[in-house]
Formats: sequence, structure tokens, C-alpha cells
Amino acid sequence: MPALKNKHCQYISNNEIKITFDGKSCRALEGDTIASALIRNDIKLIGRSFKYHRPRGIYTCGIEEPNALVQILNEHNEPNTRATVKRVYDGIKISSQNRWPSLSFDIGSINNILSPIFSAGFYYKTFMGPKGFWKKIYEPIIRRTAGLGKPPKDFRSKSIHQNHNVDIVIVGGGLSGLIAARKLIDTNYEVLLIEQDSFLGGILKNSNKVKSIEGKKTIDWINETEELIHKSKNIKILKNTLVTTYNFTNHLIALEDKFTGKKIDTKKSELTLHKIRTTNTILANGHIERFISFRNNDLPGVMLASSFEKYIHRYGVIPEEKPAIFTNNSSTISLVKSLINLDCKPSAYIDFRNEEDIEDDIKNYLKTNHIPFYPESEVEGCHGNKSVEKIYIRQNSKLLSIKTSMLCISGGFNPDIHLFTQSKGLVKWDNDIISFKPDIAFQNTITLGSVSGNYNFKKLCDEIEGKMSFLKINNLSLKIETNVSENFSIKELWETKIEKKSNWSKSFIDLHNDVTTKDLRQAIKEGYDRIEHLKRYTTNSMGTDQGKISSINSLGIVSKILNKKISEVGTTTYRPPYAPLSFGAIAGRSTYDYYDPERKTPIHNWHIKNNAVFEDVGQWKRPWYFKNSKTETMHQAVQRESKQTRQSAGILDGSTLGKIEIKGKDALEFMNLMYTNALTKMKPMTSRYALMLGEDGMIKDDGIICKINDKHFISTTTSSGAPKVLADMEEYLQTEWPHLQVYLNSITEQFTTFNISGPRSREIISRVFTEIDFSNENFPFMTFKTFNYNNSQARIMRASFTGELGYEIYIAPNLALELWEKIFYYGKDFNLVPYGTETMHLLRAEKGYVVIGQETDGTVTPIDINFHWMIGKKKKDFIGKRSLARSDTSRKDRKQLVGIVPLDKSQFIEEGQHVVECESLPKKIKNPVEYLGHITSSYHSPNLNHCISMAMIKGGNKLMGNKLFVSTSNGRKNIPVEVVSSVFIDPENKRLVS
Amino acid sequence: MILINCPYCGEREQSEFSNGGEAHLARPKDPEVLSDKDWGEYVFYRSNPKGIFYERWVHSHGCRKWFNAVRDTSTDTILKIYKLTDNRPDRREFESTLKSPSGEPTVGSGNFSVKK
Repeated sequence: MPALKNKHCQYISNNEIKITFDGKSCRALEGDTIASALIRNDIKLIGRSFKYHRPRGIYTCGIEEPNALVQILNEHNEPNTRATVKRVYDGIKISSQNRWPSLSFDIGSINNILSPIFSAGFYYKTFMGPKGFWKKIYEPIIRRTAGLGKPPKDFRSKSIHQNHNVDIVIVGGGLSGLIAARKLIDTNYEVLLIEQDSFLGGILKNSNKVKSIEGKKTIDWINETEELIHKSKNIKILKNTLVTTYNFTNHLIALEDKFTGKKIDTKKSELTLHKIRTTNTILANGHIERFISFRNNDLPGVMLASSFEKYIHRYGVIPEEKPAIFTNNSSTISLVKSLINLDCKPSAYIDFRNEEDIEDDIKNYLKTNHIPFYPESEVEGCHGNKSVEKIYIRQNSKLLSIKTSMLCISGGFNPDIHLFTQSKGLVKWDNDIISFKPDIAFQNTITLGSVSGNYNFKKLCDEIEGKMSFLKINNLSLKIETNVSENFSIKELWETKIEKKSNWSKSFIDLHNDVTTKDLRQAIKEGYDRIEHLKRYTTNSMGTDQGKISSINSLGIVSKILNKKISEVGTTTYRPPYAPLSFGAIAGRSTYDYYDPERKTPIHNWHIKNNAVFEDVGQWKRPWYFKNSKTETMHQAVQRESKQTRQSAGILDGSTLGKIEIKGKDALEFMNLMYTNALTKMKPMTSRYALMLGEDGMIKDDGIICKINDKHFISTTTSSGAPKVLADMEEYLQTEWPHLQVYLNSITEQFTTFNISGPRSREIISRVFTEIDFSNENFPFMTFKTFNYNNSQARIMRASFTGELGYEIYIAPNLALELWEKIFYYGKDFNLVPYGTETMHLLRAEKGYVVIGQETDGTVTPIDINFHWMIGKKKKDFIGKRSLARSDTSRKDRKQLVGIVPLDKSQFIEEGQHVVECESLPKKIKNPVEYLGHITSSYHSPNLNHCISMAMIKGGNKLMGNKLFVSTSNGRKNIPVEVVSSVFIDPENKRLVS
Repeated sequence: MILINCPYCGEREQSEFSNGGEAHLARPKDPEVLSDKDWGEYVFYRSNPKGIFYERWVHSHGCRKWFNAVRDTSTDTILKIYKLTDNRPDRREFESTLKSPSGEPTVGSGNFSVKK
């Protein structure tokens, strides 16, 4: 029974706090992790496994944990939290995962008995058919049972990003990291020391492997070092911070938890994502112990030996006083010494190594302390109901069983090469430590201590001196006394043979994803003998723990089956992040209201007051339609606005329109190259509708060009295309035609724009601007005037996007609202209506005007939409001209723009539907029904009182008057339609020019 | 995320820049005389080498100036940055300094994280 009180550990206080696990109240100490707190309460069963719902407990004491994942019910209801990492605080509510109805009685565990059908490749093989089953039956069931925890609801995590520029980053504040930092104290290097725990010391605080440094107790040496670092001017320590990513160009990303062991203050940022640029990186991030596969090696009560030792030294809790220990290496003796020092005694010490290879001091120590010793033996498996009760030891091929409630295992150590390989360093196999270790660094990276494969404490100082000598800093030699033998010795062992077979007996290779050693064998038998294929087929090491304690083991097992060397099998690719990184941390401040800026026109508040419903156009908020009354629907509003505009007058806030000023000696030449239109003969103070193409001949943007003179133009662009058009113009100016003297300026927000149109618009605008003569003779269509308005330059252009008589007013934004209200003051007598983007779209469709991005989609040439007249054929060159004569752009069967009306005028055509030749689908489809094109725009026209549509149809111009059919979204009968001209209203342009 | 040394502003984060694809592809002076194939080559075809690549960048969230860079596409190392008016640097200048990640060959791809 573990002690609640903590007597011997400096890192845990004796302040008692209350936590709840699955509704049960438990006592814990301040500083505990969830795992250490549960161990303190003698709770072994923590959760159920992913696939077979087997009982699982705590396997490790850190980031590598595959089993003990829990859901935190307070905070953000965060799932899949590592119990071995997350610190508790008073009142934390924890629940186990993946069980129903309860943790100790879980119905899903029937999967365990059905396991023969859940073997490798189960999903790929099983859910193949019959047709339609995937969507309706398989997927919903799999979705319900998939995953471990429940996703958080209404997630509002706050995080900030912080940038660092330093000379040296030390990853890991363990023994090697601290020695490296000590050497760098008060040098000219700016140093960042990053430690994932809230205390420095690494193995010094997690074990008693090191007895003393320079004759000092390890804790005193750590404190002394930390103090020296704090006093230094050049080293900064980041604790509770995990380096997750090591990119190209020495760029590291680390995540800091600001509320370790504290309740989150939702008003504050809880995570800091550190983005670090450095010149040199020192990796001192240590090693991770690996396990061994044997029968039922997943039972609660099986734990890694060094993790057990860490619970004793780091958290002051003894998981079990008489555990059995199973090892294949020399490091485990320090655990025995830790236990003996606390008056506990292991029930068995099983060492796989040959008796003559086992160090004498280990043998002597076990003998003097009367610990049952089993050399040249292995654990065959363990038994128990929801936790270990009995283990089976194979010695001289005989099985003997002993009773114990805990089994500590050590299968050796892997240098934690994850970050090193992320940085594109090269690793190599080392037969002395039976693991991969760093070989050649690709960047300015050095590895120190166990991550470099050096497990010898005595040689550590020499290693550090050697590797850091290029920094030209002082030597620092330390005398390190240890509790383990100087040389690390290990015998290769990945799995033990199962003798006692049963349905329930399994030997796991990946605890997180429930992959067994049998699955590996089966996958290889089925031909997946490449490690990257094998990993994906079996899902081995694909859990959130990324197989930290088991991936090398699987390489070992595979190499044995394939009869290859492990170095020939190779590793899978290590990719960032090192450990799960929450999306909230990556998003930083760019969330919710801050995700994207909102752009508002100067009239925005007036729109709100007048019940506008807004639409997002790029970053802009534009009125979509104005609600006349609470009950008015969008359809009613749009019909009303459209009708009123054609009958009297309407006004649109067009401020979002992109505006670019083009000035300079060569402005005319430049504009002639950028736009398709012939602009040379264009008279000053006139305007023209213009098209811009890509070099492939496809329409990119449209707008109106105002020519003030040959050296000065203003063009408008589509609302969302403005930045791109300006950037493209700038690109050509700089890269292709640097000899042209032209400069460009975005004036989108410098001029607020109103479009007033309708038969009464001239009368209204004449009253607003009394000094201007708006008569048709003096102010014809497609001309403009500049004038002074309240000491500011203003411009009025006669243009129209509705087909009615219309004017566009360009005015300084600070005068805009006042003018807008003035227009309404005079407009009252003429039944002036404000309208939104939906009415704008409807009105332009009635007139057959296209919208770039709606009728066109980047595959449409000007010829396709009957814009021959906009192409300056006599011009020698413009962007895209040559492409209009390509074999593809001159194909006869290109899609062309046409109008479409239903034959039955009561029917409505939907946007995006297909235009086909057949009335309905044939019952048996032998060949696909030929697709002629699609509907690009469709509206109910209030002025014609039926549906009008535009469509892009193959060879459309030749199909005028033909009867075709349009599909519907409910899939029933197609709608019979007629192909007509795309201009529905005023084809003679009488309204426009009079 | 790499650092790019804008020749006009100095070293800045990659996020301030936009990539403009392959460099040194001058727009033909007289497109009309080109065959469909030659024009197609100019409009659609770009090389995509592993290793030394001459490319264009623009400091789009900065000075908005275009410039050229030589980049090792296998490591994202920027080997040289030069103005549009500067001459195209000779590739022999960089060939000897190329480093490949994980010891993989400079041509081709694949996972060569383990040396045989």
C-alpha cells in the first residue's frame, strides 16, 4: 500500500489537495501528476485500451505514456491528457476514457474475445462492400466507437506566440544540459535552456543512479547550478516547456504550459508557443526506456523500471513495496538500491543476461540483501484480473510462477533521437547499446549525454569538453560518483515466447493502438515487409505516443522475422511534433474575432441602423439586403429592392470596389499591355469597361478604367481581386518592363464609392450637386467629371452595373456619410431605395452582365463570354493575347455564355445545376449522360416575373433557341429550358445611354 | 520557416514573402511569332529540380520589391540572394557547398534517414 505522506522527496510538498477520479474523491499532494496522485491512492486501473478495451494502468512516468490517458472534465474538457505529465490542482475532475458503462465493467471489452477478427488490416479487409454499406452502416458505427476521449465543446483556449533569437539553445536541463549551461555562464553567448519539467536535474532528480557530483549531494549541486545560471547575464531558463519541433535553418518550436499544477485562469493565456532561432543547438534531451513484449505485458501493474524509480525520487511515492524486476541490462540495479534504502525489498530480480556477463557488484548486492535472483531467465507472461497477480518466469526452459502485484521491466534505452532526426541528422546503429544513436548532424547541432548514446557518467565530462571545444570556453571537469556500474551492458531481447496460450493472452508491441506481436507477423506474411508499410498497415507506433517505448522493439522483432540486421530494416521517418501539440497553441491569437480582420465601409453604421443583413466579401462586410420589416424574407426584400431600382432609383454602397491609380510617363503603354482593350484612342475624361487576362488567356479580373490623360489612369477592380491585381501590375512593372516609368498606388480606401442608378437617378443627383450639369449632352454615358466637394477632390462617373441610367460617386471617406444622408434627403421625393449585393447581382443578371468568379472560373476566355469587342486586336501585344490563338482556346466546342429560361415560367432553375440534353436519366446507365455545361447564375426576375439564368454551355452560341434540360437538386425530373441571349432587359441599351 | 534576406530591408521571416516560381524566364519580346509549342513552354512549363534552383521572391508584406534567390530545394538553404538587375550567378559557385539532409543523394527522393 503506497504512502500518502511524502517524507523523502524535495519536489513534492506535503500540502494535501482534493481531486476526483471518475466521481470518486481522492487525496493528493501539491506537485503531483495525475498518475502519481492515483498511485498514492492505490488506483491501478486507469482506462481501457483503444481496440480491445483491455484494462490498462500507468506504464511510465512521463511524456512517453501509451496507456494512462484521461479526460480532464474541468478546464476545456480536454481529452487524451497524459496522466503522467498533467499536474493536479485542488478540485481537478478527472475521468477515465473509452469505457461504458463503467471502468471496471466495460461492455466494449468483448472486442478482446472477438480479437481474431480485429487483426492487422481489419478495416481494410472488412468494410469493402456491399456497395453503399460504408456510408450508411459502417462509417456511423466506426465513428461512434472510434477515438479514446470525447472532444471538448466550446473550446476557447488562449495562447500567445513568443519569438527568441539566441546563439545557443540547450534542449533538456538534465545532467548534461546543466553541465553545458555551467560552462556557458558569463560567456558572450546568449543561451536559452529549455526543460520540460518544472524542476531542473533530469536523471539526477528522477533516480539515484548518480550518487554525488564534486562530493556534493545531487540536489545541492542542481540548486547551486540553477543559482549560478540565474545570476548569469546570458542564460535564460524556460521550465515546463517542451521542444516539439526542430526545423531546417535552426528554427525550434517549444510549448510552455503556463498553468502547470494550477487551475487555468481563463482570462489569461495558458500556453506560450516559443519560436526560437538559434545559431547552435545543444541536444541534451536524454533517453527513453523501452519495454519488452511478453504475454499480457499490458496488465495494470506492469511498469517501466526507471519510471518506477522516478515515482520514488521525483514524486515521493512507492507504487509497490515488493515488485518483481525484469531486465536485460545493467541499469536496473539502481532501482533495487532505491527500494532497499526505503526498507522495501523486490520479490524477484530476473536478469536476461548470461550469468558471467552480470556485474559482480550486482550479484553481491542482491545476495547480501537476500533478493531472489534469476539470472539467464525471462518473464513468459503475467496473470491477473485487471492487474498483475502472478508472473511466470522461464529459467532453463522451465516455467515457475511467483506471486507479485507489480512487475518492473527494462528492455534497454533508446537515445531520444526524435529531435535530432527532425533536424535531418543522420543516425546509426550501435551494437553496444542496441539502439540507434546520432551520427552526423546536418545543422549546427551537438548531442550530449545519453541522447548521443553515451550512458557512462564518468566519461560525460570528457564528452562535453570535446564536443563544446569549438565554442572556445573554459574547461569544467567534474567528479561524478554513481550507484550503477560504469559500463552499460545489455543483451538483446525484444519479446519472449508465449507458452500459456489463450484467447485473452496477447503480447503487445504497441500499447496505445493495441498492436500485438502476432499482428506484425501476420502483416509481414501478407507482404508488408517494408517498415513504413508495416507501420501503416498495422498502425504500429501511430498512436499519440508515437511508439516512444516500443518502436525500436518492433524493428527488432521485424529484423528477426526477416532475418536482417536492424540497421537494414531502418527506422520510420520522425516528423514533428515530438509530442501532441494543441491546435489552440498553434493558432495563437489568430482565433475567433482575431482570426481575420473585418473591413467596414464608412457607411457601415448607417447600414446597421437601416436593418442591413451583411455578407462577407473577402474581408469586407457588405450589405446583402435591407430588411424592410421584421417579417420580410430575403426573397421579398430583393424583389422589392430590384423592382424599385428599375422603376425609380436605388443606391448601393460600392466602397469595397478596388481602386488603383496608375501614373507616369509610360502609363498609357503600361495600361495597353495590362488590359485587353485598346486605350490609345480613348479620349481623356472618358471611361471604359476593361478586362485583364492571365498569360494563359483566361479572364482574371475586370473593372472600369478612367483615363484622365495619357499619363494618369484610375482603374477599378473587383472587390476581392484588388490586392491581386495591384500585385500583378507591380510584378510586371518590376520584372518584365522595368524600363517603363510608371508608379502604382492603391486608393481603395481613399475613396468611398456610391452607385446610384435607376430612371430617376439623374433628378436626384442634380439636386445634390447643383453646380454640375448632368444632362445627357453634357455628361454622356462612360464619361466622368472631377470637381471640388467641401475642399476635397471628388469624382462622378456615368456608368452602370444595373443596365439603368447610373452614376458612380467617388468621395473622400470623411465626407461620405454626410453625402450619403444628403442623397437620401433629396432621394425621398423620388422613391430612392438602398440595395445590397444580392439585388446588385440580380439586376446585372437581368442585363446580362457577368461577374468575374461567378460566370468565369479561370478557364474562360473573353471570346467564351462574347467579349470580342473588348479585345484590342490591332494592339501588338497585351498579357494573354498570344494565348487567345492557342489550339485549346480556339476549340469549337468551348463552353460559351448563354441565357437560359424555363419553358414553364413557374419553374425555378438552381445555380450550379448541369445542363443536359435528356429529359430524365435513363433507368440503366450504360454511358454517362453527356454534360453540356452548368448554370452559373440564376434569379427570379421581378421585372420579367420569371426565372432567368446564365449558363456556360459547350458551343452555346450555336444552340440559341434550342430546347435543353437542367437537372435539379432533388434529383427528380429535369427542367425543360430554352437557350436564349444572356441579355434579358433592354438589349438596345436605351436606358443606359439616354 | 526560413529566414530570407531581402536585399532592400534585411533579414525577415519567410511569412513576409511570397514565392514567384522559377526565375530568369523572360517574357518573349514578340509572342506572335512563337509557335504554339514554344509559347506553351513559356506559359506552362517550369523546372522542378532537387538541389540548386533559381527562383523569384517578392517581399509582399514589406517593401513589395521583387528579387531573385538561389535555393537548395532539398534543404531550403538560401544560397544567394540578388537583385533583378544583377547577373545570374553561376551554379558552379554553389555546387561544392551543397549539403544533403540525412545523407540522401542530391538527386531523387526517398527516406534515407539510416545510412547503410
